[in-house]
Amino acid sequence: MLVTMPSLATELDTGALLDSLVRPAPDKTLFVEVRHSALLSEPIFVTGELEHRTDGALVRRVESPYRETTELHDENVRVEREGSKPRRFSLDRAPELRGMLASFGALLTGDREALERNFAVTVQGDTEHWRLELSPRDDRLKRRLASIVVDGQQDRPRCLTLSEPDGDASVMALGVGDRAELPESLERASLQAWCSGESGP
Amino acid sequence: MSAARRGLLLVAWIAVVAALGWLVDRTLVVGTDLRLFLPSPRTPQERLVLEEIGEGPASRMLLLTIGGSDPEAAAETSRGLVTELRSSPEFRWAANGESNLDAIPERLLAYRYLLSPTLDGTRFDEAFLRAEFAERLRDLASPAAAFLEPWLPRDPTLELLKLAESWQPGQQPQTQFDVWFDTSGRQALLVAETRAPGFDPQGQRAAIDALQAAFLRVRTEPGLALEASGPGAFSVLMKDRTQQEAQRLGGLATLGMIMLLLVAYRSLRVLVLGLLPLVTAGLAGLAAVSAAFGTVHGITLAFGFTLIGVAQDYPMHLFSHQHRGLDPRDNARALWPTLATGVASTCVAYLAFLFSGVRGLAQLSVFTVTGLAVAGLTTRYLLPWLVPSHGTDVAASGRLARLWGRIAGLPRPTWLGALVALLCVGVLALSPRPLWQDELGGLTPVPRALIERDSTLRRELGAPDVRYLLVIQHRDAQGVLERAAAIDPQLQALVSDGTLVGFDHAARYLPTVEQQLRRRAALPAPPALEAALAAALGATPFRSGAFAPFLADVERARQLPPLEPGDLAGTPLEARVGGLLLERDGHWTGLVTLTGLRDAAALERIAAASEGVALLDLKQASEDLVAHQRERILWCLAGAAVLLVLVVGVALRDTGRVRRVLAPMALTTLLVLASLHVGGVSMNLFHLIALVLAAGLGLDYALFFERAADDPAEQRRTLHAVLVCSLSTLMVFALLALSSLPVLRAIGVTVSVGVVSNFVLALLLTRPPRGGVS
Repeated sequence: MLVTMPSLATELDTGALLDSLVRPAPDKTLFVEVRHSALLSEPIFVTGELEHRTDGALVRRVESPYRETTELHDENVRVEREGSKPRRFSLDRAPELRGMLASFGALLTGDREALERNFAVTVQGDTEHWRLELSPRDDRLKRRLASIVVDGQQDRPRCLTLSEPDGDASVMALGVGDRAELPESLERASLQAWCSGESGP
Repeated sequence: MSAARRGLLLVAWIAVVAALGWLVDRTLVVGTDLRLFLPSPRTPQERLVLEEIGEGPASRMLLLTIGGSDPEAAAETSRGLVTELRSSPEFRWAANGESNLDAIPERLLAYRYLLSPTLDGTRFDEAFLRAEFAERLRDLASPAAAFLEPWLPRDPTLELLKLAESWQPGQQPQTQFDVWFDTSGRQALLVAETRAPGFDPQGQRAAIDALQAAFLRVRTEPGLALEASGPGAFSVLMKDRTQQEAQRLGGLATLGMIMLLLVAYRSLRVLVLGLLPLVTAGLAGLAAVSAAFGTVHGITLAFGFTLIGVAQDYPMHLFSHQHRGLDPRDNARALWPTLATGVASTCVAYLAFLFSGVRGLAQLSVFTVTGLAVAGLTTRYLLPWLVPSHGTDVAASGRLARLWGRIAGLPRPTWLGALVALLCVGVLALSPRPLWQDELGGLTPVPRALIERDSTLRRELGAPDVRYLLVIQHRDAQGVLERAAAIDPQLQALVSDGTLVGFDHAARYLPTVEQQLRRRAALPAPPALEAALAAALGATPFRSGAFAPFLADVERARQLPPLEPGDLAGTPLEARVGGLLLERDGHWTGLVTLTGLRDAAALERIAAASEGVALLDLKQASEDLVAHQRERILWCLAGAAVLLVLVVGVALRDTGRVRRVLAPMALTTLLVLASLHVGGVSMNLFHLIALVLAAGLGLDYALFFERAADDPAEQRRTLHAVLVCSLSTLMVFALLALSSLPVLRAIGVTVSVGVVSNFVLALLLTRPPRGGVS
């Protein structure tokens, strides 16, 4: 397979790349998520763990600096934050969540058809450093979500970036359990560089 | 009269009928508002009851389901349908669980600080804002960020979200794909309120048609189906069914009637002539109602034609008594005193309905009285000119003679009549079951399965109970809102302990002016708020200038005059508040709708402890109304009965004859009442009308038999006439009795039993006791 020849950069094939990303449930990954917003003078971040459960649910568990659990199951979202009552809402109130769920679920299960139904899929780079870009097809979703970008190396996704049309974005570094592993500056440019492996480990 | 002149008369008559038909067709407006048949209210309380039943939000509410295919497609269609219905002129509002902040108009946005309860317990000071901003920071780092972020600069405390959530019904169905779904998760649920009242089947029909058309436009998958439930949908369904069945049975009856008349008179000409008075009567009746009332109710129309069907009997008497050598005009003249007595007394009976206080019945009365009078007069003065004078004499029929002979030979134990009467009175007086049915729903019963489905949907959607309401009265709107706000905590307590699932009142959407002013006063002035904001933001990563729109909105709110009911026009709140806060003649009424009530007594206690608040049991109140209505109609009928006896008395001038003529009718009425009761039937308004019809028929039969008392040939002709009349009537009403619809069945059974009993009793009781001459 591609992975058996890590040193040799090979031309990318979308199908093969998607196949290599399949993670059968149950699966857990640590993450650090950085949020950029026009309302903020500097980016904020949280660390935690993502879980893909066997029932298909995606759980985002924030461990620090506070505890919060967001559970995405089918179309329903349940948010439980320490110190307040659990809240439920549905994906339509947050289309970017539906986009995320759709893209995440499809990535994790290798469902290329579902992925391409919701997004225009493009890949760049080579097997060593690749970038998978998902642009929403639905107009409603487009108003809230500009793109989902997955940066990765070999068969390992490194960053998941959700960009909003107004320039705000959230960057989720996957497989990272500690802020210290990220660059000193959390500004977009330096994060971007880190995600695409230019300042990688 | 020459053949040519006869022809001319016939043409003239038909021309008059055609002209009447044209006039009626041009001027007649057929109404369908069922409230025309409900009692007229006497007190404001009763008026409220009737308005709530017919027009209240509960009566306009349609519960909709979309299912039959993929749930996601159902959700998509539900969203499309709500958008369509919101712009439809047939609907006041529609909801499917989607909360759409964009639906709140810009000019109301700043009012959030006066409408939301946040400022009741807290101030916009540094501590409060600091805590809020800490939460918002977490929101920004959550997956909900993209949804909340656009609102944060102007609404960092999320008042709009709090308001939108508090305006949702207390108990909501589950949501899937952001819209309401039933517990099985297969059917999307929606609620829509029609502009037409629930008791207006025509308006409801238009709404249901618009609904179906909108559904077909937005349906995302052909497998999806839409179902509507609720009082309006039921009234449309029942109207369609009644109409279809009445038409089917009516067609059959007409066919049977024509056959019968052909067999009885063996003449096509007689058949056509026999129909002329009836048609003239119907059209004259319609013209009279149209002139007197402007509109005629669909039920008046249907019923009226059933009732003036009696007029079909009038020409029969003329035809059956016609024989060679008798000038038809002499025939008519001879029959007239008897016929006129019958017509006059029947008209007197129907006149009672004119004073019943029920508009629909008054229409019915005008229609039948005019119709019967016209039928009687045309039979007397026009028809004889056209009837062939050579007709076969039915008195010559051997079969009829033998039949008469056998009837004459029957024993006539008058004591049996007395015994039967006594028995009937005993049954009616001693039975523990109520004689009458007071439920309004009894007039147009909906199939059980549909009712059950409706209550399941109602439970799932948290739609308000249709039976109980709290009613708040005050001379001004603020007083009503104040009282609603005052009992809110007690209602909340009932929700907490499970007595009640939810409730709704106007103050949930529109706080009192006083409360709004209090909240407004609690808003800090710009310097104070700016200082608090700066201090709260100090240590956060939020940009200091990011919340300028918040400062501007608070300042705008500080200048706002409090929101009053009139300010809501054109906003999504208009329909919600409008249904719960009503103004009439300078007096305000507030309604508290209740959902899932388990214990009415708990509400009774709240109402008793609060001034100006009353628990309204719509079922009980409407039953009281119906009972009162019936009482009034019965008094009218009693008055009519006295008049009727007077009419017959004046006509016959002999107490013995009067007694013999009235006995069959009176005994039949008792017999029908008793047998319906023993048969488990609770009587309603329709039975009552049918009883009057049966009594009218009985009186006619008795009058004619009594008239023929001593002449064998006349007896046989009368027997023929009454046989034809009663058979044709029995056929029509026996068909109605077979109907699956309670209304038609009620009339059918009552009249059928009445006709048989009247015929038999008239034969046995009307001749003088010394016996007929054979």
